[in-house]
Amino acid sequence: MAFYKLLARYLTALGIIIAIAVVLHLVAQPSGLHITEAELSVESTVGYQAPPATLVYRAMPEDWSHVALPNAAIPRLALSQHDSAAAPDTQLTWYRVVLPQAVSPADKGYLYIPRWKSDGTIAVYVNGALQYQSHANLQWNGSNRPLRIAFDVTEGAAPINAIVIRLQHLRGIGGALSSLWVGNFDEVGPAYMVRNLFQAELSYLTSAAFLASGVFSLLVWFRRRQERLYLLFFLMSAATFIRGLHNHLGLEQLPLSDAWFGWLTVNSTMWMVALSHLFLITVLHLRASWITTIVGGATLVLGLVTLPLFEGALDPTLTAPFAYAAAFVVCNLVGISAIRAAWRRQSMEGLVLAVWVLLTAYLGINDLMLQNNLISIEGYFILPFVQIALVFAFFHTVLAHYLKAVDEVERSNIVLAERLQAREAELVASHERVREIEQRELLHHERQRLTEDMHDGLGSSLLGALRMVERGRLDEAELTQILQGCIDDLKLTIDSMEPVETDLLLLLGTLRFRLQPRLESTGIKLHWDVHDVPPLVWLDQRHALHILRVLQEAFTNIIKHADATEATVSTSVVGGDIVIGVSDNGKGFDPAAPRSGRGLANQARRASAIKARLTVESGPEGTRLTLLLPIEQRAEGMAAVG
Amino acid sequence: MTTGSVPLKVTIVEDDASFRSSFVAAVEAAEDMVLHAAAENVAQAMALLAGAPADILVVDLGLPDGSGIEVIRAAHGAWPECGIMVSTTFADDRHVIPSIEAGAAGYLLKDSSASRMADDIRTLHSGGSPISPRIARKILLRFRPVEAPAQPLLSPREKQALELITKGFSYDEIAELMGVTRNTVMTFVRRIYQKLEVSSKAEAIFEARSHGLL
Repeated sequence: MAFYKLLARYLTALGIIIAIAVVLHLVAQPSGLHITEAELSVESTVGYQAPPATLVYRAMPEDWSHVALPNAAIPRLALSQHDSAAAPDTQLTWYRVVLPQAVSPADKGYLYIPRWKSDGTIAVYVNGALQYQSHANLQWNGSNRPLRIAFDVTEGAAPINAIVIRLQHLRGIGGALSSLWVGNFDEVGPAYMVRNLFQAELSYLTSAAFLASGVFSLLVWFRRRQERLYLLFFLMSAATFIRGLHNHLGLEQLPLSDAWFGWLTVNSTMWMVALSHLFLITVLHLRASWITTIVGGATLVLGLVTLPLFEGALDPTLTAPFAYAAAFVVCNLVGISAIRAAWRRQSMEGLVLAVWVLLTAYLGINDLMLQNNLISIEGYFILPFVQIALVFAFFHTVLAHYLKAVDEVERSNIVLAERLQAREAELVASHERVREIEQRELLHHERQRLTEDMHDGLGSSLLGALRMVERGRLDEAELTQILQGCIDDLKLTIDSMEPVETDLLLLLGTLRFRLQPRLESTGIKLHWDVHDVPPLVWLDQRHALHILRVLQEAFTNIIKHADATEATVSTSVVGGDIVIGVSDNGKGFDPAAPRSGRGLANQARRASAIKARLTVESGPEGTRLTLLLPIEQRAEGMAAVG
Repeated sequence: MTTGSVPLKVTIVEDDASFRSSFVAAVEAAEDMVLHAAAENVAQAMALLAGAPADILVVDLGLPDGSGIEVIRAAHGAWPECGIMVSTTFADDRHVIPSIEAGAAGYLLKDSSASRMADDIRTLHSGGSPISPRIARKILLRFRPVEAPAQPLLSPREKQALELITKGFSYDEIAELMGVTRNTVMTFVRRIYQKLEVSSKAEAIFEARSHGLL
């Protein structure tokens, strides 16, 4: 399963990191002169005094006892307040070391102190003169940082034979010293650097890095307020960063008072526990429960009673062991309840997180003991690293959450694109189908139109000619005329295949162009009396051919039968109609006669097919055909009135 | 008529033997014309173009070994002074407009009588060009100002003449309506044909440019 593979990978990485750390630590063991014994003397004082410049003129305490280094007193766990915050009960702890043989500072130029604890000030004397003193806050004074003090190397400097360390600290707590090393840079330098890395720098670097990813997470949360996990991760990274500050700060005076810095450092532990709880219940989709109430209550109470705003508030530094004990208990509660919930929900991710939270509490025991000098003070605080690992576990959870969301967006985009594509293809297909149907319909209409036309026109003309030729009643001139008529028919058919685009005059012009040679050959003068007419939106090829055929028939009659000398074609607009007139000055005909009757019937049929009206008046002065084309073709009965 | 002057040398490119013979007959019947040569296909026509130029060249488009358009284009280059006509049954714009673009100056209707054909040849030689309403309409559409750039535009008078042609008016009627002579109208049409040819070339260049060929 992917989850176990991932977990195994993380655990492997963790193992490798620990192995590297151990190897680093072992490789960088200090060498040189190792001082493991000293003489100790203690004086009670009130408030803090500046250390003297030299010990030569100072009356040193009389009673010295021999102690082994590292040396630490078991702190008194006391909640008692000092009488005055300005002048608390303090204590001077002196460590005096006489070197077995004097060393030259040019030879062994460094004093290396792996750990010192004061909750106060430190001053280091070499051969009785002050060599180093702390310049930081009194309580939060960087005692987590190892010290590497370079001896003054001056011309003709005397060999070093005595080192005295003066600690002034709150009475009852603090005041401890590890063993000391005197050596050259190669002997103590690497050891100092590795210890400084593990005790201060690493915690600083990693917590800052996670704070940066926490800010990213916060920005995500600003856009996605419903996703609480992003906010919680940011708060967790911020709390861890605050908690880690005391590991590396304190070499310089802090911009905060000891009280406030202590408040932040001690309380941030509880905040991390509370945030772990909220994070866990979010990951496990649990509702807030009585545990939430307890966690929230404990966090709030601790925060309030240690708040240095009020007179009589508990000193956070003094209460730290109690606060940490409370955090331990609450963390157990949070961890165990989450483990149970995760187990029930079969959430491996939640289970691992919960176990890790619980583990943090237990690994914290080491630090609590170290802090209270219950184990060798030369050991390491491991909680900073465990906490960083916890933040990393949270980070992994948030990252997985984020990546899942990104993947989902990507997947839904793909699905969307696919759906869109399918839809598009469907549309194209349906469009294609519609077009195909339209095309087929168009073809069908066109075929029908042409068939009809051939049947009525060309076909019957050719058939008539054939009969007459068969009966031998056709002379060459007549045959020519008939064939010419057939060709004219054909030309008009071909013309009708081109769109005329609503232009009636173009249609008439085309007709004239086709018939002009025959009119000229018969000597009939044609008057072209056409005027602009509105466009006919309904004029398609089918309609155009009907109009052409009606007018062609009229011309054929004029040419063949009318004995006319002049003919006129005119257009005008009357009411809602376009009027096309074809008139001649011939002899006229009897519309009732069978032959002309058939022609007329044909014309009338074509006219009615396009909803046009046809009138033919004929008399001795000539014949006039009038074709009325409605400008707008409407459905039956909807013709405009007036 | 141009009786007494040098007869017109007429060449025909036509694969249909019956039309070719009736055309030859029509030319021979006319006093002022003489048959210069006759070709049946593109190959023969191309060979002719290498020789002495004719005054009038009549080309059919549907030739067995290619399109008459090739012959028209080649003749337009080889015999610049020659009047080229496309012979067509229907004078439909699908045949006529590409011919004009290739350099033809008019068309000859195949169903015309012998005398009518001779008349049309004479008219073309003296500078007139026939034009049908539909072709006029197509040309008007082609020269719409929004069309492809770098082409000659029709003058307002040319445009007016074309519009009257689409409405079916004859050259004489147009001359009267526009207050000019029939010759002027014919000049308009000839110029329009030339512009159509130039425009088709400009369009070809424009196309070639936009396809990166030039």
